[in-house]
Amino acid sequence: MTVETQFDSYLTALRTHLGPLTIAEREEIVREIAAHVRDSAEESGASVETVLARLGPADELAAQYRDGLLIRQASRSISPLVLLRATLRLATKGFTGIVVFFCSVVGYSFGVGFVIVAFAKMFFPTHAGAWVQDGRLVAAGAFVYGYPTQAHEVLGMWIVPLGLILGSLILLFTTWAIRTSLRISQRWQSRL
Amino acid sequence: MAALASLWQERLYGLEIIRFLETHSSLVLAEGTIYPILNRLKAEGLLTSEWVEAEAGHPRKYYSLTEAGRQRLRQMAEAWTSFSGGLSRLLEPVLEQQEKPQ
Repeated sequence: MTVETQFDSYLTALRTHLGPLTIAEREEIVREIAAHVRDSAEESGASVETVLARLGPADELAAQYRDGLLIRQASRSISPLVLLRATLRLATKGFTGIVVFFCSVVGYSFGVGFVIVAFAKMFFPTHAGAWVQDGRLVAAGAFVYGYPTQAHEVLGMWIVPLGLILGSLILLFTTWAIRTSLRISQRWQSRL
Repeated sequence: MAALASLWQERLYGLEIIRFLETHSSLVLAEGTIYPILNRLKAEGLLTSEWVEAEAGHPRKYYSLTEAGRQRLRQMAEAWTSFSGGLSRLLEPVLEQQEKPQ
């Protein structure tokens, strides 16, 4: 492959992998990288090939831009899907990321769980609730096959507002915690 | 922080930032690392950029600090200096011990 086509194919690959960005942003990045390659080759006397190797593969370079965008969008978003995607990306980058992802999944599950129980109680009162036997909580939640017969139910219909409020609070807190973690992760990176 | 600091005096373009860091702080950045960082700092409103025609025959993208960038850098510099000052005091005895004959 000649130098010129190698250069062009690098820029084409970069453009392709920058897909999620706006066209204006993408073209600006490609233009900047192209200028860098020319300047760097000229200044150091290295071949275009060497400079491209120093830049790293086009897809990895593009991934750094995409991660930045993903985390930036997510730290302003409230959508669980967007937030989970960003934490999943963070999880690929180190142990702290894995912990953040795990906590996010647990947080969302609990929040959604409480809300489901509240709704289940409204529509299938005998299948949802909290049951106590011998002073211990033996079952709580929504059950397809009804409740444990030996135990007696506590809370009654109060579990509806309780589940809704607790569930919403947990979901709100999870959202807040993920957004804060994403911001902190960005700050960490910017120490460089 | 280093990328912001390199722009304190004047506007620079990507390659100049890389060289500036190498000569002033012995920080060696992989060439591919700096551009996504600059992109993010710009998105955060800490930097602005402009294309300037150069003698090289192609324009270069110059970055400069915004007012928010200057403020942020000042905060970071203060925090960093107080942190590293404390750590230096903590490490002083370690270095002194080394110089003492055993």
